[in-house]
Amino acid sequence: MSAGVLKVGAAQSLAQEVARRSGQNLLACYQCRRCAAGCPVGQESGVTPDRLIRMILLGDEQGALDNLLVWKCLACYTCGTRCPNDIQTARITETLKQMGKKAHLEPLLPKVAAFHGAFVKAAGQAGRFNELVGMGMYETQAALGELKRGGLGAAIAEIAATAKLGQAMMKKKRMHIKYESVKNKGEIKALYRKAER
Amino acid sequence: MELAYFPGCSLHSSSAIYDVQCKSVLGKLDIALREIADWNCCGATSAAKVNDFLALALPARNLGIADATGLAEIVIPCSSCYSRTLVAKERLAADPALAAEINAEIGAKVTGKIKVSSILEVLLPKVRSGEIAKKVTKRLEGLKPAAYYGCLLTRFPSAVPVPDSVENPQGMETICRALGAEPVEWGFKTDCCGASAAVNDTDQALLLMSLIIKDAVARGANCFVTTCPMCQLNLDAYQEQVRGKHGIRERLPVYLITELLGVALGMSPGELQIDRHLEESVGLLKELRLA
Repeated sequence: MSAGVLKVGAAQSLAQEVARRSGQNLLACYQCRRCAAGCPVGQESGVTPDRLIRMILLGDEQGALDNLLVWKCLACYTCGTRCPNDIQTARITETLKQMGKKAHLEPLLPKVAAFHGAFVKAAGQAGRFNELVGMGMYETQAALGELKRGGLGAAIAEIAATAKLGQAMMKKKRMHIKYESVKNKGEIKALYRKAER
Repeated sequence: MELAYFPGCSLHSSSAIYDVQCKSVLGKLDIALREIADWNCCGATSAAKVNDFLALALPARNLGIADATGLAEIVIPCSSCYSRTLVAKERLAADPALAAEINAEIGAKVTGKIKVSSILEVLLPKVRSGEIAKKVTKRLEGLKPAAYYGCLLTRFPSAVPVPDSVENPQGMETICRALGAEPVEWGFKTDCCGASAAVNDTDQALLLMSLIIKDAVARGANCFVTTCPMCQLNLDAYQEQVRGKHGIRERLPVYLITELLGVALGMSPGELQIDRHLEESVGLLKELRLA
């Protein structure tokens, strides 16, 4: 990656939107790379938090939305905890996932997107996360995605991996069949409605 | 002493053993837990990746319910639930407009009165007062745990008061020493186990877990101890895969802090349900004549 070409107009609007949504002052980054040193997924992502901030500041919207760090970020908050200027880049990757979705971008790691989407959906339906329901929702979407991208073999491998874990959990009575839900679902639904605005 | 209690979804499903242990072990320390009524999922790590409002509003509803109990303190054993709830409390206190927006939708309004505590914050005063040492009937001699904190007990997405060192926390070590165990010094106590990536980005999570296990082994640990149900489940359920893929021969049981405490207070592995780990975890206790 080069130092990049500054796109003045794009840089202003992108940096402002990310800063507003994430609550992070990106302009304070002076590229000391303490975040990069601590990032547990930086190496595998090929992008570290400092590079991500740089892309945003240069107005490289495509690069900022569509890179592996956005999808591999585990929200471990190491980068932000070590940043001398208190920039929490994990909040920025959270923001960029949401912006990418709004822009109808295909997630680089579809299973990650499917997981978090299924989790929030399942938690909203019952008010509580029921593992069998939530994991079922996720697995359906993940396997369909694998089917589309890698064919039947990939889809079967995906289901088999999860089924193996499920079986081991069953054996130790760690899977709960009981369906739990919140009594006052109206409040949960109201919060979800407000979140959609 | 009575505390409000938020188990969260994990402790009501895959980590139900932790729920059982919290109630029984804290009971032995004369702490009664009152589970808050009609609580909901805190949104965990997922909500913040999908919707910023939900990430604060979901734990806020629980805070309102907890505030309404009139109790002074709520204990949240799950690191993820603890983190999300503490962050919501601080963010709502700093942003009255957001608090009003959320309070408009929920019956029990957030007042911000109740103190949000991790399980370590509840246990440590009882170590310092000497109460725990006095109640120990079986010193955990020979147990060399690597105290594993994971991410969410000391690192937060926004500023909150952190009751331990962020980079080198000591809370679990302090408890372990009071129980007669010898916690090891090691370098990965606050590193990430991958959390849900174990399911959705498996190779990445297995790599991170391998680094954690290798360092614990190299430092002479014979087990892990943790407070986080997600970390416990990951290191326990995926350890076999990690060992195979990353050439690790040693096998380390992954105990919850309540399990070590329970054993030291004279409870049996059966009572504590330690036999429900995915990796065999009673054997080491027997070997050390602790069970």
